Amino acid sequence: MPHALGHLRVVEIGDGVAAAYATKLLADLGADVIKIEPPDRGDVTRTRGPFPGGVPHPEKSGLFLYLNANKRGIALDVRTPEGQATLDRLVARADLLVHDVHPTAMAAHGLDWARLAARHPTLVMTSIAPFGLTGPHASYRGADVVLWNAGGVATLNGEPGRPDLPPLKAFGDQSGFQAGLNAAIGSLGALFARLASGRGQHVEVSTQECLAAILELTFEFWPYCGLVASRLGAKPIQPLCFMECRDGWIFICCVEEHQWRQFVEIMGRPEWAEMELFANRLARGANFDALQVFLQEWCREQLVQELYDAAQRRRVPFAPVSTMGDLLASPHLAARGFFATLAHPVAGKVTMPGAPYKLGATPWTLRTPAPCLGQHTAEVLAELEVG
Amino acid sequence: MAGAAPLAGIRVADFTWVWAGPFCTLQLAHLGAEVIRVETSTRICVTRLLPPFAEFEPGPNRSGYFNQYNQGKQSIALDLKRPEAVAVAKRLCAASDIVVENFAAGVMDRMGLGYEVLRRLRPDVIMIALSGYGATGPDSDKVSYGPAQVPLSGMSSVTGYRGAPPMHVGISYGDPTGGLHGAVAVLAALLHRARTGEGQYIDLSQWETSMAVLPDAITSWTMNGVPPPRDGNRHPGMAPHGVFRAAGDDRWLALAVEDDAAWARFAAAIGRPALAHDPRWASLAARKANEDELESLVTAWTSTLTPEDATAILQAAGIGAFVAATNRDLAEDPHLNARGFFAELPHPEVGTRKHVGIPWRMSASDCQVRAAAPCLGADTDRVLRDVCAYSDSEIAALRAAQVLS
Repeated sequence: MPHALGHLRVVEIGDGVAAAYATKLLADLGADVIKIEPPDRGDVTRTRGPFPGGVPHPEKSGLFLYLNANKRGIALDVRTPEGQATLDRLVARADLLVHDVHPTAMAAHGLDWARLAARHPTLVMTSIAPFGLTGPHASYRGADVVLWNAGGVATLNGEPGRPDLPPLKAFGDQSGFQAGLNAAIGSLGALFARLASGRGQHVEVSTQECLAAILELTFEFWPYCGLVASRLGAKPIQPLCFMECRDGWIFICCVEEHQWRQFVEIMGRPEWAEMELFANRLARGANFDALQVFLQEWCREQLVQELYDAAQRRRVPFAPVSTMGDLLASPHLAARGFFATLAHPVAGKVTMPGAPYKLGATPWTLRTPAPCLGQHTAEVLAELEVG
Repeated sequence: MAGAAPLAGIRVADFTWVWAGPFCTLQLAHLGAEVIRVETSTRICVTRLLPPFAEFEPGPNRSGYFNQYNQGKQSIALDLKRPEAVAVAKRLCAASDIVVENFAAGVMDRMGLGYEVLRRLRPDVIMIALSGYGATGPDSDKVSYGPAQVPLSGMSSVTGYRGAPPMHVGISYGDPTGGLHGAVAVLAALLHRARTGEGQYIDLSQWETSMAVLPDAITSWTMNGVPPPRDGNRHPGMAPHGVFRAAGDDRWLALAVEDDAAWARFAAAIGRPALAHDPRWASLAARKANEDELESLVTAWTSTLTPEDATAILQAAGIGAFVAATNRDLAEDPHLNARGFFAELPHPEVGTRKHVGIPWRMSASDCQVRAAAPCLGADTDRVLRDVCAYSDSEIAALRAAQVLS
């Protein structure tokens, strides 16, 4: 079957998750992605791991191998005139250039949009920057923990009764993934626009804004009600919480009244549905200190999978707090063929997340392992000679 | 900004509700697609019923949650439990390039609006289903809510304070992550259709898109049989790295010192340049080995300053740092306001209010929030007449039969 993006040529200058994930999304749908890495150290994710046996090795990082499968890699120092000349030739035959070079370093990397646009009028360039390319904070820096806070997500997570605990970030470089997703959308939008206009353009992505865009219902509490959202406020609706079972944790999710009535049936306590203290979701929220004790006492005797199945049989959307082992052992994910295994010449066989979506006519595919540093330099330079 | 919108002329029949699906179609609306929400007053979209309501006064058109994620879309009221309504929906789908839904798997089929039906009406239609578990597999009939995706995906098991139980992440993270992946898939399918004329069906599982952003946790398990530890705001490759108490009531500063050179700049910035050469702190390994003490040292400095002042000092030294921003901080942020990030467009019931805008800018295409979110059913007559080609008398008959509610 064909690939949806098999006709696209993409150049990536990525250092971290953001640009690499944007172009991974395109590469997995067939785009020919050439990743440029600095010859001396490569992409920073090569140092991040996880590594087999916990031993750092630039060709064995699980994060790097995932983000850069299906791409070709060249080692090129685009801070030198020779490197920029090569970049110019690469870009001349590319549809799209995606980078996450910091705004203060773009000129030094040859990423001057006015010059590129004049030479390559059909090129789309997508720039991902922590705080965008304009505005008083454009020169600011930020790793994930900084951006997750700057975008307003972190202040929403904590323990309500524990003001001593700081806002808590989510696992991993989620800021990078969100920026990468938005960059892919902006890039594909610009490529679609090019079908009609015949012209490329510059797409600019602010990671801070990508995060401010996913605050669920909390942002609007200020413009609509003058209220500041906080991780310390009690949840208005309960039970919507984690509970410890005999063999792990489960997420209890009773948003609708019928879900609560089903849950008390499962617990063998139908009379709780009649108690004024727990009469509706707001009352359960107000009286959750008491309810929590009862629920935890009961849940502690249960098995996660049995409670999950019992709830789901009654159409109540409980979910297990999956461990990584649970995910790899899931019959459902196995039946859908979610996890993918690639053999890498240095790292060996690595199993990683696979297709995030199934496109019926143009499937997601995993074709080649992530490149070793500079693996395709000669091959790509030879292609440039041929033209 | 002289050009047309990227998706000008592309129409989307939007059967989604809550957050994941509407967030997918919001991206398409940002790019200029004509997005038509199919809603009903007999089962109102959950987000229309949730706070915040403008000035605390409930009403289906007054919810900030709905109005944030449905900007620039249209709304028709159609009671899909009625067979006449399904006929209207078919006409809408036949006139649409893209159909988006996020019901539980199988619901669209049972309503007679499955892909096999729609492709006969419109062979090049692109249809995407964003379900919790995906359209196939033994768990495909399970029900899923947004907040449940965070634990289900494994994210909760690796998120939490050091040595403490698993945690949520503060938002239903699987919803926007699923919605954005859905937009990527739809745009790729549109590019394919533009070249080949071929439409297709896309099966998106929110569970799977949620795992797509956890590769380091998953490969830690597949490589070594161990998950990464729950470790608060710390990072294995950077120290200090976290959220530190600042001066003020529940004010915090996030910062990350990325390498040893940054540590030297940090030491100078806080007025203790000797720390750069102190063997207890000079290397990442040393800082990780003494991280509790390191964090006390950092807090001793941050707690004397407002997070804004500390941010200015550290950023001037090239250290990543920022306030742990609240919703109010964001709304009043001079940088975001100077960039024109927020959309403030008139709405008939809540007036002109600040909403979050588009996280990307385009130099040559018209890319903007085009209108406030629609009131429920606001576009019913116009869409039925202009898109579905019903006559005024047919529309009146459908309304009299209470199909358009």
